[in-house]
Amino acid sequence: MSGQTNGGNSTNIIEVKDLVKVYPGGIRAVRGVTFDVKKGEIFGFLGPNGAGKTTTILMLITLLEPTSGRATLCGYDLIRQPDEVRVRIGYVSQDIAVDENLTGWENLALQGHLYHLDSKTIAERSREVLDMVDLTERAGALVSTYSGGMRKRLDIAEGLIHRPEILFLDEPTLGLDIQTRARIWEYIRRLRDEEGITVFMTTHYMDEADKLCDRIAIMDHGQIVALGTPSELKAGIGGDLLLLEVDGLPAPAKPHEEHNGPNTPVGAAERAQAPAAPRAEEFAAFLGGLDGVVKVGTADDGRWMLVVTAGEETAPRVLGAVNRRGLVVRSLAIKRPSLDDVFLHHTGRALREDEGAGSFIRQRMSLRRARM
Amino acid sequence: MTGGGHRTMGRTFLADTWWVAWRELKHFLGQKVRIFMTLIQPFIWLALMGNMFEKMAQVPGFPAKSYLDYMAPGVVTMVTLFGGIFGGMSIVWDRRLGFLNKLLAAPIARSAVVSGKMLAIAVQTAVQAFIIFVIARLMGVHFATGFFGMVMVIVLAALLSLVFAGISLSFGAAIKTHETLMAVMNFFTMPLMFTSNAMMPLSFMPSWLQAIAKVNPLSFAINPMRSLFLTGWNAHELVSGVLVLSLVSLAAGWVATRLFRRATT
Repeated sequence: MSGQTNGGNSTNIIEVKDLVKVYPGGIRAVRGVTFDVKKGEIFGFLGPNGAGKTTTILMLITLLEPTSGRATLCGYDLIRQPDEVRVRIGYVSQDIAVDENLTGWENLALQGHLYHLDSKTIAERSREVLDMVDLTERAGALVSTYSGGMRKRLDIAEGLIHRPEILFLDEPTLGLDIQTRARIWEYIRRLRDEEGITVFMTTHYMDEADKLCDRIAIMDHGQIVALGTPSELKAGIGGDLLLLEVDGLPAPAKPHEEHNGPNTPVGAAERAQAPAAPRAEEFAAFLGGLDGVVKVGTADDGRWMLVVTAGEETAPRVLGAVNRRGLVVRSLAIKRPSLDDVFLHHTGRALREDEGAGSFIRQRMSLRRARM
Repeated sequence: MTGGGHRTMGRTFLADTWWVAWRELKHFLGQKVRIFMTLIQPFIWLALMGNMFEKMAQVPGFPAKSYLDYMAPGVVTMVTLFGGIFGGMSIVWDRRLGFLNKLLAAPIARSAVVSGKMLAIAVQTAVQAFIIFVIARLMGVHFATGFFGMVMVIVLAALLSLVFAGISLSFGAAIKTHETLMAVMNFFTMPLMFTSNAMMPLSFMPSWLQAIAKVNPLSFAINPMRSLFLTGWNAHELVSGVLVLSLVSLAAGWVATRLFRRATT
């Protein structure tokens, strides 16, 4: 490739510095994100709906103008050389934007022509990408007869027809059933392993980020709160988790109350008002002083959540100490941290996969409107 | 990796326009009911209106022998108006379905999205104009200028449709729901129709309406078309009609592209 020398580090295919997007009306969707993506990596943005993931993607694919900050993709400046960027990237939106009035072949042909491929190349590559997503047999049928999973696969195939160096996937498995999700994951891995394509994806599914991504940036309220490989992120918590339920002494309500809003478990909020609060604080200090306890906090369900070194050894010690204080431990669980715990650790909230919470939906809708 | 198969940028505007239009035309051909309505609609217009207003031709000073003769170019412009003015709808749909983002993420000019959609409407209109012409002739409508006259009727209809498509796409770029766009466009259609001489001669109108009708873009298509049907070649009318419609459609397309660019960044 010529002209690919104006970037910084040559192994970084995406370099983003202080990217900000403020929508008209003052919604600050992305509040300064900085990260690099290495060539050949599957890089994921994990975060709840409305965290700014899609807005970041739309900026990186040149559809939204950043309010400030800069980025280079494949060595080209996002703002000054958008055309160079466009021909080198593929984009598969969360909307499943295939044309249902056309056949699979016609959708691919249209996409190929919009990327200025000649008819012969389009025919060859259509066969390739259809084969890759197992759609060859149905390619002659109108897309209106396809299932949701087939449409998604066709959409991904379209994103690949011009052999992009980077493929952007916005929530690639949103709303798909378990089997289809597993298949899509497999395609994404194959893209990286067999084609060497760098994949930048967003998701609000933790299992997806955990299983699929080489590195993850956890996003919340328009900012990256943690970045690393899934195991680094989990190790970053500082140990195992002990979940403790003490009779008559619930854990105090969590900090970051202003962010919690509808996400706060009802029980925890009620308990915060209880007269047990001073006792809880004292108990928290006591737990924190125990050998092997790194941090004392509150789990999403209102249990005490301790970050401890070597969970199996610390657990009996904690149990004994609590008993000696004359308190009854109702339950005790040892848990290896999951990405959910990582998210909780950094934001004070749980990353729910089915956020029914009104304010999130509203925030999301207002973001979508702003984007439109 | 990316290499092979890319054509040079900049020279691709026409190709991009064509592929955007190709998609729209594919949609049109895929909708059997819509094609059927396209065929049946001018027939209804001609039969119904021709009959309804037949007596008007007997009024002294009426410029044609039968009202049907007079009405035929009016029907061409009416169908053109309706076809063009709802062209902005497709952009609202594309935005809603996420397809617009796909178009915009591709290395094509914003203006090609607008010009492609305009081209598709012009092609559809040209086909419709031809069908109306054939039906009108079969119904015995007089036509003064032969084959090349017919070609000019089709060209004028296509140019007029570009004007309305451009206006409609401009609104479609700014307005993001179908309902609102529909309401705004409906606000245009009827007044445009009734302040033109599509259905009634200028001389039958009150003077204030005549003043409006003279600057109504519809008139720049109807007048030369009507001459082609009723009397013969009128170079002045034709040249000014083609010129004005071309300029206005270019301006409308330019405005649409500008609004569209602003709406998407």
